[in-house]
Amino acid sequence: MIFLLIQTQAMRLLTLEGITPDILIIWIIYIALKEGQMAATLWGFLIGLMFDFVTGYFIGLSALTKTVAGFAAGYFFNENKTPLTLGSYRYIVIVLLVSLIHNTVYFAAFTQGSDIGLLRAIFQVGLATTFYTAVLTLLPMFAFARKYIT
Amino acid sequence: MQRLINILILFKEYCVLILLVIISLVLLGANDNIQIRALRSYTVGFIGILQNALSVIPNVIDLKRENEILRQMNVNLSDEVNRLREARLENLKLREMLALKEHGTYGLAAGDVVGKSLHMLRNTITLNIGENNGIKADMPIISVSGLVGKIILTSGHYSVGQLMLNKDFRASAKIQRSRVDGIVAWDGGEIVHLKNVSTTQDVREGDIVTTSEYSGTYPPDIKIGVVSKVTAKPGNLFKEIDVTPSVEFPSLEQVFVITSLTDSERVAVEKKVLHTK
Repeated sequence: MIFLLIQTQAMRLLTLEGITPDILIIWIIYIALKEGQMAATLWGFLIGLMFDFVTGYFIGLSALTKTVAGFAAGYFFNENKTPLTLGSYRYIVIVLLVSLIHNTVYFAAFTQGSDIGLLRAIFQVGLATTFYTAVLTLLPMFAFARKYIT
Repeated sequence: MQRLINILILFKEYCVLILLVIISLVLLGANDNIQIRALRSYTVGFIGILQNALSVIPNVIDLKRENEILRQMNVNLSDEVNRLREARLENLKLREMLALKEHGTYGLAAGDVVGKSLHMLRNTITLNIGENNGIKADMPIISVSGLVGKIILTSGHYSVGQLMLNKDFRASAKIQRSRVDGIVAWDGGEIVHLKNVSTTQDVREGDIVTTSEYSGTYPPDIKIGVVSKVTAKPGNLFKEIDVTPSVEFPSLEQVFVITSLTDSERVAVEKKVLHTK
C-alpha cells in the first residue's frame, strides 16, 4: 500500500517531461527475485488491480500488465543467487527487460483506437519510462548491495 | 482426473497466469472507452477470420448429424421423385383420355381397371364404375388405343367387362382402307382374327381394322387393331386374317365405357325383322 501511495502521489514530483518512473515494477521484480514466479505473478495482479482501482481510469489494464511483468520476472528467480542479483547490475537489467515487456503490453492496449502508433508510443514513452525506472532501481540496488555485501 | 491434477500442478505458474490474465481481460472488457471499443472490434474481426479458417476442418459430430439429415432427406426426395414420376405417367394417360373424351361423339364414363384375367378362355376385367355411374350390360369399353370389349355384368359400384380376348367375343369390323367387312373373334393367344372375309377381297398386312356400322353394340370407326398376317389357303372360301389388337391388355389401367350408344329404335326394328322371319 505504501508503494501504491508513493506511486500515485509522490512520483508526480519525479515526473520529467511527462515521464514517470514505475516503482511498482521495481517492487514486483523484487518479489520475483525473492519469492519466485508464482508469488510475483499473484502480487503483480493484486498490485496492478489496486493501482487500477486507485486511479480508476482503465480498470484491468495495470492488473494485466503487472501480472505479465511478474510472470516474466519470475524467470530470473534463482534461490541461491537472490542477494547477488539484487545487489548488482543484474537487477537493473532485469528491470529494463521486464519494464520493457510491461510497457509494450501496456501501450499495445492503451494506443488502440487512437491516432498514436504503437511503436511511436513505445519508443517515445515506453522506453523513456523503462530507462527512468531502471535509473530509479539504482537506489534499491545500492541498498541491497550494501546490505548483502557487508 | 489425477493425471489432470498432476498436469495442473506441474504447470501451476502458467495456470495462474492464464487465470489472472483472463480476470484482467474480463475487467478490461467492463470498461467503455475508445481503446476497449477498438479492441472489441479487432477481437470480433479476429474471431471471424479464425472461424472462417477453421470452417474447413470437418466437425465429426456435426458431419454425422448432417449426414443423417441428408440421408433422411434423400429418402424423402426419392419417394417424392417416384410419386412425381407416377403422377407424370398418370397425367399423360389422363391427358390422352381427356383428349379422347373431348373429341369423341359418345357419352363416356371413365373407370379404373380393378381386376383383370388374361390367361383364360373367357377373359374379363373388373371396373370400379357400375350402375350408379349409368353403366349397363352391352355397353362398349374403349381405351385411348382402341376397342377393349363390352360390359357383361354390373352392380351398383362395379362392372365386369368382356375383353376382346374372350371366346364369346364377336364384333363387326371392317378394313379401314378397302372397306372390306368381317367379324372379329378370338381363338386364344395374343391376336384376334378377322373372319368371314372371302379370298377375293382386298386385305393386306398393315391394314387398320375398325368397328363397322353393322354392329348393334359397338359404334363405328373404333380401332380394333392392325392386320399382321393374311393367309389364303387353296380350297378355302375365306382368308385367314390375323389382327394384332391395338390395346395392350396386360398394361390396361384406365378405360372408358360408352354410355350413350345404343340406338334403341334401330335395335327394335332389327328385332322385329328377326321375329318376322
